[in-house]
Amino acid sequence: MRMEHWFYTLPLRLRSLFRRPRAEQDLNEELQYHLEQKIEEYVAQGLTRDEARQAALRAMDGIERRKEECRDVRRVNAVENALRDIRYSCRVLLKSPGFTAVAVLTLALGIGASTAIFSVVDAVLLRPLPYPNPQQIALVWEQSSRHHRMSVADPNFEDFRNQNNTFANLAEYAYWTSSISGGSEPARVDIAEVTSGFFDALGMKPFRGRAFAPEEQRFHGAPAAMVSYRYWQRYLNARSDLSNFHLTIDGSVYPVIGVMPEQFDFPPGVAAWIPREISPGTERTAHNWRVIGRVRDGVTVAQARADLGLIARRIRAQYGNKVDLSDAAVLTLADALVGDVRTALLTLLGAVGLLMLVACTNVAGLLLARTSARRKELAVRAALGAGRLRLIQQFLAESFSLALAGGVLGVLLAAWAVRVLPAILPSNLPRQQGLAVNAPVLLFALAAIVALAVSLGLFAAWRAGRADLQEALTSGARGNTGSGSSERFRGLLVIGEIATTLVILIGAGLLGRSFLQLISTSPGFRPQNLITMEFALPIPKGQWVMEQTAMLRQLHLLEDMLSRIRAIPGVETLGLAGAIPVAAGDDLAEGDFVILNGQKAPTNYDEFGRMARNRFQSGHAEYCTAGEQYFRTIGLPLIRGRMFGEQDDWNSPHVAVISEALARERWPHQDPIGQMIDFGNMDGNLKPLTIVGIVGDVRARGLDLPPPAIIYVDYRQRGMNPNSAPTILVRSAAPAGEIITAARGIFHDLAPDVPVKFSTFAEEMSGWLADRRFLLLLVGLFAAAALSLAAIGIYGVVAFSVTRRTQEIGIRIALGADRAHVLRMVVGEGARLALAGVAIGIAASLIITRLLSSLLFGISATDPITFLGVAALLSLVALIASYIPARRAMGLDPNTALRYE
Amino acid sequence: MSRPSDLVQGTLDLLLLKILALEPLNGWAISQRLKQVSGDVLQVSDGSLYPALHKLEQEGWITAEWKASENNRRAKFYSLTRLGRRQLQKEAANWARLSDAITQVVQIEKV
Repeated sequence: MRMEHWFYTLPLRLRSLFRRPRAEQDLNEELQYHLEQKIEEYVAQGLTRDEARQAALRAMDGIERRKEECRDVRRVNAVENALRDIRYSCRVLLKSPGFTAVAVLTLALGIGASTAIFSVVDAVLLRPLPYPNPQQIALVWEQSSRHHRMSVADPNFEDFRNQNNTFANLAEYAYWTSSISGGSEPARVDIAEVTSGFFDALGMKPFRGRAFAPEEQRFHGAPAAMVSYRYWQRYLNARSDLSNFHLTIDGSVYPVIGVMPEQFDFPPGVAAWIPREISPGTERTAHNWRVIGRVRDGVTVAQARADLGLIARRIRAQYGNKVDLSDAAVLTLADALVGDVRTALLTLLGAVGLLMLVACTNVAGLLLARTSARRKELAVRAALGAGRLRLIQQFLAESFSLALAGGVLGVLLAAWAVRVLPAILPSNLPRQQGLAVNAPVLLFALAAIVALAVSLGLFAAWRAGRADLQEALTSGARGNTGSGSSERFRGLLVIGEIATTLVILIGAGLLGRSFLQLISTSPGFRPQNLITMEFALPIPKGQWVMEQTAMLRQLHLLEDMLSRIRAIPGVETLGLAGAIPVAAGDDLAEGDFVILNGQKAPTNYDEFGRMARNRFQSGHAEYCTAGEQYFRTIGLPLIRGRMFGEQDDWNSPHVAVISEALARERWPHQDPIGQMIDFGNMDGNLKPLTIVGIVGDVRARGLDLPPPAIIYVDYRQRGMNPNSAPTILVRSAAPAGEIITAARGIFHDLAPDVPVKFSTFAEEMSGWLADRRFLLLLVGLFAAAALSLAAIGIYGVVAFSVTRRTQEIGIRIALGADRAHVLRMVVGEGARLALAGVAIGIAASLIITRLLSSLLFGISATDPITFLGVAALLSLVALIASYIPARRAMGLDPNTALRYE
Repeated sequence: MSRPSDLVQGTLDLLLLKILALEPLNGWAISQRLKQVSGDVLQVSDGSLYPALHKLEQEGWITAEWKASENNRRAKFYSLTRLGRRQLQKEAANWARLSDAITQVVQIEKV
């Protein structure tokens, strides 16, 4: 029924709206026809043509009125009124271009900035992952009694997999950076080993080729490799026939059997996946594997967690101290992927929201000033019978035109920002490839526009509605200066604006000070002029323990490389280590070591494990292989004892150098030098190590973390094993490019299959700082924008009040008030607003900045220096903003001022 | 909107729908037909006819079409829609009920 109604009436409505002239013409013609017929009738009755026309018109009872009645029934008056209002408001707005430009630009800034940030939040946090039913995909960890999440050991995983009843799939995987050759050129990329069920857990099938076959998915199964879309495009020339491709990964050859679809990106950035099955007889404390799974339909992640937790407690009950887990942790993949950046992104969204609020307040202030100035016009309209609703509609039309103009500009701004942003986005921000101005982002912008339009329009209408008609109409020439009440209200707006600005500024200040603290934190060595060359040595796969022959071959190659690079002109010193501190922080291997204290060294890992569980004769440290030259090159001082020396070789007792932190922590009242330890779980060599020296601390895991306990071993004794990413560090004042070019040639000569990543330490550090810099940059920009808006706001209020009080000021000067007094009076007005705003802002910041604590380093969320500094800065800006109109007031000529109308 | 005083509120709609139910007509013809069928009793002023027609059109009860008139000039012809037919039945039933009730009241002789 309803549908049918619209079927007939919708075309009419549309016609009345959009083809109004046509509708009018039809109406005229229809009535004209009637009129002529009537005239004919009268003529037939004997009247003259003129008389007949008169009579016919009389019979119509006022033809224009009838037309209007016909128009009234068209039911599109509301829309027509709205269109008329918008046209009218556009004309009005164009008449005051200054006001309009400021308001539109302010809104564009607010809407543009928040839309751009929203597009990042949308891409990273909100958009579902590109896998079927992504909310069912979860990552699983073992969880210790102290709530630490740990990777999973094979036997525990098997129990999880076999005993759970909440997961449809559960698979293990691990990934690391390695080198692949066999494509168009060797590449240093991430490789993942995955057990069966991995691709099913993510719900994806290969886009070319086939999935892993059962004979490939068993222990010691047939080799096979799946490659990523990007690797396939870049290194396999996007060929659809894969049969000719064989990749060499870590010394083994794998035929390429399939290509995953473009959107498949897990673990993030991985270029190839190879199958791997659980090796029997692994310890329950070998936390080597990450676990991904898909929960069954209708099962929540919380239920899955409870289920695995039960199994974990059962394992704990059965094996006691032989396991580390006491619970299981389960997170959805989406939560796990965004984990750390969530706070940063929400901070940004908060900052941009506050900026929008400041922008909105500023425009509200402008509208208020305009409303005061337009009181007379409004009063006339109201007196002529414009209803309250009609007036509100008029205001809404005006604010809508403003918001729409601002919004369109803002979206353009956001579209530009989205193209520029990837250059400054930190590379560790997950899922940033999806950054785009798409439908949800546009919807967000639209929602922002509507919200702004409605709130501003209603606000202006509300303020205007309070005006007294009578007063407005009779207040004569002064009608355009606004009432005291509206000025007080503008003052309140500015106070709110200053308070909001202060919150953003304090946020930016805290982040800025954290950043300064961070970059001025000494990493423990001299990071300047250091060139890094990270490469992958071919380590035969499955050879965990290095044989002497393999090691000697490797040593030989390394010595060749070092001596040839040392000969490059400009190289001052160079050293070799198994990891670079700070930048590669998360890749450092770590584990428990055993303090022998005169006991015999363990002969197998069961024994090692038993000894390591005794808290009194074990410790925890990071593991780093290094050469003696390394310490000298990066500038780590020897505190006590000796360095690795010529006498330390494969056959002599193996030695270790430890960091001060470890000495302090593990041997607080003893001399660690001479202690025998075993750290064989790191490199597969149970030969004990004698501590011979103590070196300075390095903030190896990042500048924001305390220096860790590190045990350095000599690469000439232990080899560059799979727990090391061999890196040559070169200190040179010569341009890095020249040295790198020369070194590249040497690598090519000596080991053409070995991919090398050349970089400088400064670059690695700046990569590490990128996300903090990004956050600081954006929050800083927002703060600057808010500060300038607040300054404009204060200026507006004070200048307006000076204009209004011109006569009063003139009288004061005429009566002998000295000009400094006038200056004080006017500036005092701005200062009062600023003071109130700052006080409120500080109170609000004390609460709000606590949310930032996880992003801060070295300062508290209520850092007094930041709070005071920002308050002072804001007050200063407020004073300057009110000083400009004050100077004008001071310079008033009483003669003109008194006549000022 | 002014309505002829001698027509009960809403009955003009009924009359128009009824007339158009017989055949599609233009405005002038409708006014002639009204006079003709009601024997000049029901006077609908020329002026109030058109707003009423336009209202019916906007309700979706009648639909209009430009066609050649009997004297071969372009005129706007109205015809009943399916919705209009339904509406006519409803209003006719209403009218019957109302007129019955009024007749009964008028015929009461003593209380």
